[in-house]
Amino acid sequence: MSYDYHEPHSLDDALALLTRFGDDGHLMAGGTATVLLMRQGLLRPAHVVSLRTIDGLSGIARTPQGGLRIGAMATHRAVERSDAARGYSPALVDAFASVATVRIRNQATVGGNLAHADPAQDPPPMLAALNATITVRSPRGERTEAVETLAVDHFTTSLSHDEVITSVLLPPILPGTREVYLKFLPQTADDYATVSVAATLRFADDATVADVRIVLGAVGPTTIRAKRVEDALRGARPTPERIRDAAALVRDEVDPLDDLRGSADYKREMARVWTERALAALTR
Amino acid sequence: MKFTHTATVAASRDRVWAKLMDIPAAARCVPGVASVRAAGSDKYLGTLAVQVGPVRLVLDGDLVVTARDEKAGTASVKADAKDSRVGGAIRATMALHLSEKEDETELRIATDLAVMGRIGEFGQAVIKRKADQLMQDFADCLARQVMR
Repeated sequence: MSYDYHEPHSLDDALALLTRFGDDGHLMAGGTATVLLMRQGLLRPAHVVSLRTIDGLSGIARTPQGGLRIGAMATHRAVERSDAARGYSPALVDAFASVATVRIRNQATVGGNLAHADPAQDPPPMLAALNATITVRSPRGERTEAVETLAVDHFTTSLSHDEVITSVLLPPILPGTREVYLKFLPQTADDYATVSVAATLRFADDATVADVRIVLGAVGPTTIRAKRVEDALRGARPTPERIRDAAALVRDEVDPLDDLRGSADYKREMARVWTERALAALTR
Repeated sequence: MKFTHTATVAASRDRVWAKLMDIPAAARCVPGVASVRAAGSDKYLGTLAVQVGPVRLVLDGDLVVTARDEKAGTASVKADAKDSRVGGAIRATMALHLSEKEDETELRIATDLAVMGRIGEFGQAVIKRKADQLMQDFADCLARQVMR
């Protein structure tokens, strides 16, 4: 297999190359997913356009409003070790630290991970639970999109081939909010999740649930927001019974597949168990 | 991999049968199908493009109607196609069954799909989901066309 490898030094140059190559071009960030697909022979681009030589895409910093901005080319490891990220949300750091092995985390990027749209990845559910948005550049300008709606199917996003994710913006976390990321790994520590649950929950002054967001990974063609579970908790006191009943609703929201990590029925049941555990951790 | 899909059509069984057995027209109901043409009796050549994320498969092959029984409303179809760029092939056998219920007809398609070569690298789960979507879209499209 042969292809031309391009290292543009500006985003505009990268966009121009992507426009020129059309379907023959493939954008590469860290390359952990792209190189695998190429080695498997599934992806055979004539041109690979790398983002690694473009400056200014890998910063991680708090915003003046108290949010967090992560450059699309920041590696998972950089987020994991970032004081700014940890100060924003330890659960976010947990999600990035859960990915595969340190060798992968040193190479895989935040933007590449989102563009790959693998539903079993760890960062997307946590980013969606934290209500993150991405900034996307194309020759037509800039737009933003919620991480929650970015993936539309297995390995498929709403991005067109000439769009590049440039950063991820996480809004300020309201006081009283708790966050958690749980990953169920029955086989090995570096495996993909069998089920993962990212959740945020904010208490009102009267100890009822003011707001809650629950997003699951690995149990559908995309990450799945458990809206019925959320609705069953919002405005209520999260007693153990109510949490148990609410978590049971997740079984009808997920859409898992049978694979070597378990049957669809098993994963549906594990989604319930781990949703209940995540909610218990947030209300303890 | 085995799947079953059904679609209900508000038309007589005869009309659905006629539509289904017009293979080039029926095949156009499969999303991604291009250029289906007859190549002998009950044999057709065609191309199906399938996109899974960044991966695009162009499956080139043939489709043969191996059995048909208009009276019983049943037919069997076998499709063989390969993607020479990625290096992989699929083989699908489909059992079609039409049954009339009052003024509607139910179309049932039982598919047995085998995937060979590199296409299998996607994993069975993703392939199954994609094939499932294709067959359901086909059944729904056919139902819409007959009712038109």
